[in-house]
Amino acid sequence: MAAIDTTLSDYPVSAVANRRGLKAGQSRVGLLMLLPAAIAFGAVILYPFLQALGLSLFQYTVEMMSPRWTGLSNFGKLLSDPAVWASFATTAIYVTLTTTGTLVLGLGWALLMNQPFKGRAVLRSLSLLPWVLPSTVSAFIWGWIFNSRYGVLNALLLQLGLIQAPQAWLSTPQGAMLAVVLTKIWLSIPLFMAFFLAGLQNLDREQIDAARVDGAGNWSILRDHILPHLRPVLIIVVVLGVIGNLQQFDTIYALTGGGPVRATAVLSVEVYRRAFEQWDIGIASAIGVLWVATLLPPAFLYLRMLVKGNG
Amino acid sequence: MFDLSSTTAKVVFGLALLFIGFFLFFPLYWLVISSLKANAELYQIIPTPVPMAPNLGHFIGAITGGKLPMYLLNSLITSGASATLVSVLAIYAGYSFAKYKYFGRQPVMLFMLSAQMFPFGLLLISIYPMMSSLNLLDTQLGLILSYIVFALPVSTYMLYSYFAQVPDELIDAARADGASDLRIFHTIVIPISIPPIVTVFLYSFMWSWNDLLYSMTLIVSDDKRTIGPGLLLTYLNEVNSDWGGAMAASLMASAPIVVTFMFLQRFFIQGVTAGAVK
Repeated sequence: MAAIDTTLSDYPVSAVANRRGLKAGQSRVGLLMLLPAAIAFGAVILYPFLQALGLSLFQYTVEMMSPRWTGLSNFGKLLSDPAVWASFATTAIYVTLTTTGTLVLGLGWALLMNQPFKGRAVLRSLSLLPWVLPSTVSAFIWGWIFNSRYGVLNALLLQLGLIQAPQAWLSTPQGAMLAVVLTKIWLSIPLFMAFFLAGLQNLDREQIDAARVDGAGNWSILRDHILPHLRPVLIIVVVLGVIGNLQQFDTIYALTGGGPVRATAVLSVEVYRRAFEQWDIGIASAIGVLWVATLLPPAFLYLRMLVKGNG
Repeated sequence: MFDLSSTTAKVVFGLALLFIGFFLFFPLYWLVISSLKANAELYQIIPTPVPMAPNLGHFIGAITGGKLPMYLLNSLITSGASATLVSVLAIYAGYSFAKYKYFGRQPVMLFMLSAQMFPFGLLLISIYPMMSSLNLLDTQLGLILSYIVFALPVSTYMLYSYFAQVPDELIDAARADGASDLRIFHTIVIPISIPPIVTVFLYSFMWSWNDLLYSMTLIVSDDKRTIGPGLLLTYLNEVNSDWGGAMAASLMASAPIVVTFMFLQRFFIQGVTAGAVK
């Protein structure tokens, strides 16, 4: 697939121009086809984005009729607000744990699913399920597992003798964080697996067979052949994972509402609370601007990889 | 890939399969099992691993007593309409990016794609007053339009990568016969592009179907609510928690998307991983 793509764009410009008969009329048709999507994009994505960025410079709360210009004072307020710092720390912990956890388990599962065995195809299909479930459903499942009185997690740990009394997981900061992190890892494993399996498909099997003849064991095959081969996929998966985890809202909100108190109030939850619970639009937008700033590095990496990929 | 002839390798493989497999599948198993238990059995400190007396009480309760059918219908309407809208927009935009040369084509496309990093929660801060001023707050149309946010950029890119592989010769030959560009696109290109188009539709549908944030913010009336907030408010509100009902309703809310996905997963995975894997 990709091969065709690159050969097409590798043609010298003039050849492409000739072949496509670059007449003014044709590029007009192209622009016309783009127009509806461009209008929709501008109206519901670009304009709201720029407006939200702009609102970070205004004071705009629920009791005000219209926003009032305050320059950078919102950001000044944020810097001295410990809750905002805490939200950044929470986000960093959440994103690190979810991304690493999904990476390890997703790669592990992909390697297992790449090995031929009976029932593999069925298992592969079934393991995509967590990915397609509505976020409320995922939150319900894990909320029930972590339930303080009747949760199966407590039962399991009690039976194993690891805890003496049932724990109110979602009421403690660490327990709540564990729950939201496990939920996100669980629902992201399928996507990571899909990427890794796609990457494993074009692995050079002859090279591996040759290495095996030379006496390489499983570990050395993994370290010297499979992982280096998967490197580009690994990078894109980590970047996409970080972007997705930085934006995660639904499962956290449904499971803990950002609590207890603000133990799981990552940036997405913090922005939501400020905007739609306290109706402090100016401050919410300002936090949003900082949130976008955290997204810029991974987004930049992602775009650069796409540009490279397209030749 | 790995050589599993040695006992150590077999044990490591088996343990890894068991461990990750348990993590992936136990929650799903528990969802199904819990939905089939009557309350007396459900609320026990040490639960039964298999229901002693499986019954469909929670399912019947969710269908007859609750508002689940209404939420499902609302989700179907908003997700279906929004996925159709996104697909149509993305089909033309993706083809335009793939087959036409014009000034700014590449930057415009990358810019659209970079919108993936605009946090949905931040966009909502401006979408909310926008919908309010258009009188679209608390309407299905408002929600449908807002759902464009989730999937338009990626859908456009997925179709762009597909259309880029359609041979130019095919289009040129039809052009030589005097067919107009739009006609060529509609009668030649679209018919051979059904699988990616279905993928994009499903991708977009899934985003909207699974949404909680936009629906719970932009919809206020209960009779317009979609399943995300609908389930949350019905089963885990401040007054009571009905876990059995929540599990049964969850299964019914997931069924349509799971069934569709299982049929189309191959195309779907190709589409989503396109561009990332060379």
